[in-house]
Amino acid sequence: MKKTVVCILTGAALAVSMIGSTACFAEEQKTFTVGFDAEYPPYGYMDENGEYTGFDLELAQAVCDLEGWELVKTPIDWDSKDMELNSGSIDCIWNGFTMNGREDDYTWSKPYVDNSQVIVVPENSEVTDLSGLAGKIVGVQAASAALELLSDGGDQADLAATFGSLQQFPDYNNAFVELQAGSIDAVAMDIGVAQYQLKQKEGYKILDEKLNSEKYAIGFKLGNEELRDTVDADLDQLVADGTFAKLAEKYELTDMVCLGTDEGETEAETEGAQTEAATEAVTE
Amino acid sequence: MKLSVMLEQLSSGMLRSMEIFFLTLIFSLPLGLLISFGRMSKNKILRTIVKVYISVMRGTPLMLQLLVVYFGPYYLFGMQIGGTYRFTAIILGFALNYAAYFAEIYRSGIESMPVGQYEAARVLGYSKTQCFCCIIFPQVVKRILPSITNEVITLVKDTSLSFSLAYAEMFTIAKQIAAAQTTFIPFVVAAIFYYIFNLVVAVVMERLEKKLSYYQ
Repeated sequence: MKKTVVCILTGAALAVSMIGSTACFAEEQKTFTVGFDAEYPPYGYMDENGEYTGFDLELAQAVCDLEGWELVKTPIDWDSKDMELNSGSIDCIWNGFTMNGREDDYTWSKPYVDNSQVIVVPENSEVTDLSGLAGKIVGVQAASAALELLSDGGDQADLAATFGSLQQFPDYNNAFVELQAGSIDAVAMDIGVAQYQLKQKEGYKILDEKLNSEKYAIGFKLGNEELRDTVDADLDQLVADGTFAKLAEKYELTDMVCLGTDEGETEAETEGAQTEAATEAVTE
Repeated sequence: MKLSVMLEQLSSGMLRSMEIFFLTLIFSLPLGLLISFGRMSKNKILRTIVKVYISVMRGTPLMLQLLVVYFGPYYLFGMQIGGTYRFTAIILGFALNYAAYFAEIYRSGIESMPVGQYEAARVLGYSKTQCFCCIIFPQVVKRILPSITNEVITLVKDTSLSFSLAYAEMFTIAKQIAAAQTTFIPFVVAAIFYYIFNLVVAVVMERLEKKLSYYQ
């Protein structure tokens, strides 16, 4: 009996501590809540010390430092990201978030990373290009840009039709284990994430032929231009003072970031044409 | 990541899982009893409502219920949610769901009591409330403890569902570490954590059962 009493008391103590933390929220300070997938290195993940970090989160922190906001990092379930954003639980989705194909669904910041979707296969795989994937089992993260690209209506739907099957995974770690075990033949994913994974693991390669090229941007709730403009202006300032480049270097993304470089500015304009060209090249 | 850091992170997650666990039990055990009364009520309307409630709670996935409880206020009434409502919604969702299961367990216990006991109590001058509180309920508790233990152990493992509401409990943290470190060690640790916690629950419940079997 004593033990049950202890249990109940512990529970009660926890309840009280919850109420205590509730009181803290009442304080008036502008918070900036970033929703991110904490299983998405190098953009957002848990570091050696158990802190959430990553290129995107450090960038968000820099923006908050400029504005005097308090950054709240909320790791979300990627499947529920729209619900989280629309209901106001988070202020933005900032986590290697692909804007192509979703242009009308969110209010977007400026694109800041040039990303592409690639295919990862085991090093000894016979697959060398996209056409080699015919009849193979391909893995992809649920609700990801790669999935959108490969499902009906996406730019690579025709390619996906040649696959043996398209298998969805909750996270890339699972997908890689299946790849290793041989139960799937290839995984479609963002190049940044693929490079991070390959740095940690031996025995995989990225196909030279890419599925597409696309842009990462910060997604705000549709119509929230005010917050978007503020963050955009801050990003410009971070580019101007070099913080942006420094962070890109830290996360080895220098080749991919597209803010601040002259070519990035012009690229943004011709982006549509480029994507089309890339897609064409791929389908050929 | 050092093993000590990993353990520290997972322990903090485990605390959060336990928070859900205890709060759910504190709210759902009494609520379940109330619901079981409704389920056995002579009032047909009340009985039907409770029947539908139990059927919905048992017939739909808990994860879906959590999403409805958290996002429902926004989608139905356009209310802005966030902040502390997240945790409230988790406890609310868990308690409502588990209360439905507990209600049926209570009912099985209460209905298994022989009518003769009620009759004897009435003859001896016990009121209905006295009869239930002093005679029936203590026996019910004894009978249903094994079923309750089952449900409680399931609850320990179900706490991981709270990630659908972006709550970083233990298993979520294990997944995050696994993703960043590209290893499976966190899952092994998580399994051990769950097992130990459930072992403690099982042992405590067994002790309780022994304590209560004072007539054997």
